[in-house]
Amino acid sequence: MGLIDQRFSDNIITTNVDKILNWARQSSLWPMGFGLACCAMEMMAASASRFDISRFGAEVFRASPRQADLMIVSGTVTKKMAPVLRRLYDQMPEPKWVISMGSCSNAGGPFPTYSVLQGVDKVVPVDVYISGCPPRPEALLYGLMRLQDKIRKENTVLRRPRVIKVGESEPVLVEDRG
Amino acid sequence: MVRTLAKFFRTIFLIDLLKGLWVTLKYTPQPAFTFQYPAERRPVAARFRGVLRLQVEPETGAQTCIVCDQCAKACPDELIALDGHREPGQKIKILDYFDFNLSRCSFCGLCSEVCPTKPVKALVMSEDYELGTYSRDSQILRVDEMYDGVPIEQYTR
Repeated sequence: MGLIDQRFSDNIITTNVDKILNWARQSSLWPMGFGLACCAMEMMAASASRFDISRFGAEVFRASPRQADLMIVSGTVTKKMAPVLRRLYDQMPEPKWVISMGSCSNAGGPFPTYSVLQGVDKVVPVDVYISGCPPRPEALLYGLMRLQDKIRKENTVLRRPRVIKVGESEPVLVEDRG
Repeated sequence: MVRTLAKFFRTIFLIDLLKGLWVTLKYTPQPAFTFQYPAERRPVAARFRGVLRLQVEPETGAQTCIVCDQCAKACPDELIALDGHREPGQKIKILDYFDFNLSRCSFCGLCSEVCPTKPVKALVMSEDYELGTYSRDSQILRVDEMYDGVPIEQYTR
């Protein structure tokens, strides 16, 4: 970069592959709306004109997983829905990201029961967790910006794996305080 | 005969189409009402319930929480754990830790409703709603985050 920087005429930008690919990825995140419960209402509000998620390039909610980059899991994931969610995640082409929106998909929310999946990270790797019950549309936009921060730091050519923990147990409330 | 003529004129002058378009046209001249969110933050409602926050005395900065454990008992999902100790010769308990599991919280506000301290309420629902983390471990708020608010998490590989 240092050798060829500033050596061309105007309107020629020199960059590296990582930067330009990450820029393209973070500014055209096509989400697959996975609306399962009341959080989906806030997701729809975020894509409507008041909040306008298309300012971040993420307005094209696809119905098909094969055209999507980002899965916004918004709502309670029941154990009956979990295999379907995993299959749809597997059908998405790489690179793909997952936002877990709301308390229910983060950790099961107020339903610690036999029928509800206790956290969507039990079946798919989650990039960003957004808390709220349901999160405001602004909170979804905030989570999207956090995801864009994460994408900006990814490698594309040297494929270092992303750090995502799958199937984490519930974090402990009181740590061992010696 | 009259009805047939009226229907004929309605068809050739596209009255029904114009009626529908008029609704669209009526809303066209108004300015855009999109909130430019990261630049402009919409004021929340007066009774909005955001993330929990511990408050201190405004003048002295002293601790207001009296470690009565009522919030932990009121929480329907048992998301709050706190404890304190008593210094010898002192009446008030000092807060040792205050852990709040944000990941399951449904923001019902029962915990701040039962908080008995006066005049400054120790546990309040703040107006912060910007909550996004990269892992589940950082969704447990410790006592510093309960006092200062949830910081923006930086992603590190």
